[in-house]
Amino acid sequence: MMVESWLPILVFAIPTICGVISLSFRRASALFHSVIAVLGLAGTFAISVAITSDVLRGNVLVALNNAVYADGLSALMELLGSCMGMLVAIYSIRYIPIHVARRPDAPQRLSTYYGLLLLFLGMMNWTCVTNSIVWLYVTLEATTLATVFLVTFYWERRSLEAGYKYFMLVTIGIIFSLFGLVLIYSGAVELPEMQGRDVLLITELSRIGRKIPRSVVLLANALLIAGFGAKAGLVPFHAWLPDAHAEAPAPISALLSGIVIKVGAYAIARTATIFAPQYPPIIVFIAIMASLSMVVGILMALVQDDIKRMLAYSSVSQIGYVVEGLGLGTYLGIYGGLFHLANHTIVKALLFLSAGAIAHVTGTRKMSELGGLVHRMPVTAVCFFIGALAIGGLPPFNVFMSKFTLFAAVADAGLIWAAVIAVFTGLLTVACFVRAAMRIFWGKPSEITQAALAYANGGEGRLPMSMVIPMVLLAILTVVIGLYPGLIHPLLDSATECILKVLRGAF
Amino acid sequence: MPLAIQQSDILALLMIAHLLASLVAAELRNLRSAVWALIIQSFLLTCIIASFAFVWNNYTLLIWAAITLATKVVLIPSILLYHLRVTSLVTELRPLIGLRASIIFGSILVIVFYWLLRTYIYFVAPTQAALVEPARSNLAIAFCVFSLGVYVLITRRDVVKVVIGLQLLENGAHLALITLAPTLPPTTKLGIWTNVVVAAYMLIKLAEGIYKTLGVVDTLTLSELKR
Repeated sequence: MMVESWLPILVFAIPTICGVISLSFRRASALFHSVIAVLGLAGTFAISVAITSDVLRGNVLVALNNAVYADGLSALMELLGSCMGMLVAIYSIRYIPIHVARRPDAPQRLSTYYGLLLLFLGMMNWTCVTNSIVWLYVTLEATTLATVFLVTFYWERRSLEAGYKYFMLVTIGIIFSLFGLVLIYSGAVELPEMQGRDVLLITELSRIGRKIPRSVVLLANALLIAGFGAKAGLVPFHAWLPDAHAEAPAPISALLSGIVIKVGAYAIARTATIFAPQYPPIIVFIAIMASLSMVVGILMALVQDDIKRMLAYSSVSQIGYVVEGLGLGTYLGIYGGLFHLANHTIVKALLFLSAGAIAHVTGTRKMSELGGLVHRMPVTAVCFFIGALAIGGLPPFNVFMSKFTLFAAVADAGLIWAAVIAVFTGLLTVACFVRAAMRIFWGKPSEITQAALAYANGGEGRLPMSMVIPMVLLAILTVVIGLYPGLIHPLLDSATECILKVLRGAF
Repeated sequence: MPLAIQQSDILALLMIAHLLASLVAAELRNLRSAVWALIIQSFLLTCIIASFAFVWNNYTLLIWAAITLATKVVLIPSILLYHLRVTSLVTELRPLIGLRASIIFGSILVIVFYWLLRTYIYFVAPTQAALVEPARSNLAIAFCVFSLGVYVLITRRDVVKVVIGLQLLENGAHLALITLAPTLPPTTKLGIWTNVVVAAYMLIKLAEGIYKTLGVVDTLTLSELKR
């Protein structure tokens, strides 16, 4: 049932307003900014919970003449986004001030950091509630623009380079998807059936898809998948991803892998997925891109020495699973894709935050220089291990469930070759992460690292609680969802049904 | 017989001038002149959009034209010219391709693309609206400008030139957008244009950061993060 509500507007307005406040007070203290961020995001989280509870009762929240539209999928994304945003903001409370303390322009940097973090979440929430295909492009581009200066936060050679690459690749990529959306629009306005209806609405896409020429749909979808795929980090548009993830501050890396690339997957779920069942070539095209991402991502991850680059390449590989599931257009596929999306958000954020803690204490991200940290940092070690085993797809953790749903969905759709590639990638992922965990936490650290640890009595004692709590919460979430997947099932089911409803044209 | 200049003649003239200005903006080695060529290119884009408003009797297109004038002709070039004044850069860093070769290659690129696209427009924009003049030629021009932008992005090392390339690419994309979807509601246009301005500003900010930390604005030096 459609219900008029202010909640979908508030969910993006609150973080945006808080972001503007943070950006306006350039000389305010670190405390001021962190309070604004944590409170603003806690409020956003509360609203997301309210939207979720409404949506689970079978309602769809609309506002502004159907231009804003929150269904199960929006609720899922917003819940994940605001939850991750809040944890990242808490993690940043101590982490970010320490890392900019020596700079003369530290207050301005903090203002930029928190302002853009909040603006990003505002834009991301907007992306997830908009019902217009052109606003989908506009807000998606805005999420990129908001995160570029977060990637270049340290403002030094390497981070500037990473930010530049990120900006160029994603901005140009997204222009292709704009062209795809415009093609669909241009085909649709000519249709006599669509006279008097708003052809820009996502909820009308399936009706449009059945009427416009096949060549328009196929070309438009190829452009959409390329554009949104660049945002999601699919191979061959992934070149920005490892650089940006590695050079950004640790909480931002967690956000990039956790949420930013998922927005690209969300856009694919809202557009290409709707067309996929009517046009089988789209399913095959997505499956090929996704399989390529899985294999290339994990092979590159295996040869990395930098922890964050390894995690970033693994994200390329994992986003392949998500997109492959979403591209199938079947209940099982979409369900598996969204389940994996949620799980990967939690697990990868956990891993990036742990990697940030390791680098914070030892001063290095190179696995060859690390070792023996299990005694120095037991909590981080447990968190990283849970994350590593989870992302490898081992029971009883959450990713095990979503990966097997996806294997079943892909095989069920008749793409046996893709299922084989997915299983093979899963095995390589286990090997990659178990090896990484062994190298970091056992063995002997290099002399430089030992010196760094000895200096100022390094170890977990140096980690502030504000950094440990988000990691522990994420680790608990990983285990709990793995043991009781029923907790998240109603929301996933509702999100999947929402996509299928649009797909069948039941409006 | 009175001398009759037809609407379509003016449009054709504007389109050709637009394409030539794009080529000049891409090729000029003096950065300030290149920015001025970009200003002329964007102004011609504004004129094309405005004349479409009269050809199609769709006067909301005049809002598009006004926004284009404000952002593409005034705002973005001002940011670029300000950047040039602050950094006192004059000549472009030597591109990957020589001047003569670049002019020849650029011209061939434009001519071949124009011919290919105008003939086979159905493959890139398979809708009815795209097949009718002046939309057909216009789309071909739009894709030419777009591909010229991509070419500039690939071969140029200077960040200012990269911004110009990005602007060409976006101008091409927006010309295609206007041709295919002239009836888009004004709010969406505003959203798209805000993004364009913010993106240009951010790229210049990044360029300034790169200039301050590395002393050059050479995108080729940005290659530390390999593998």
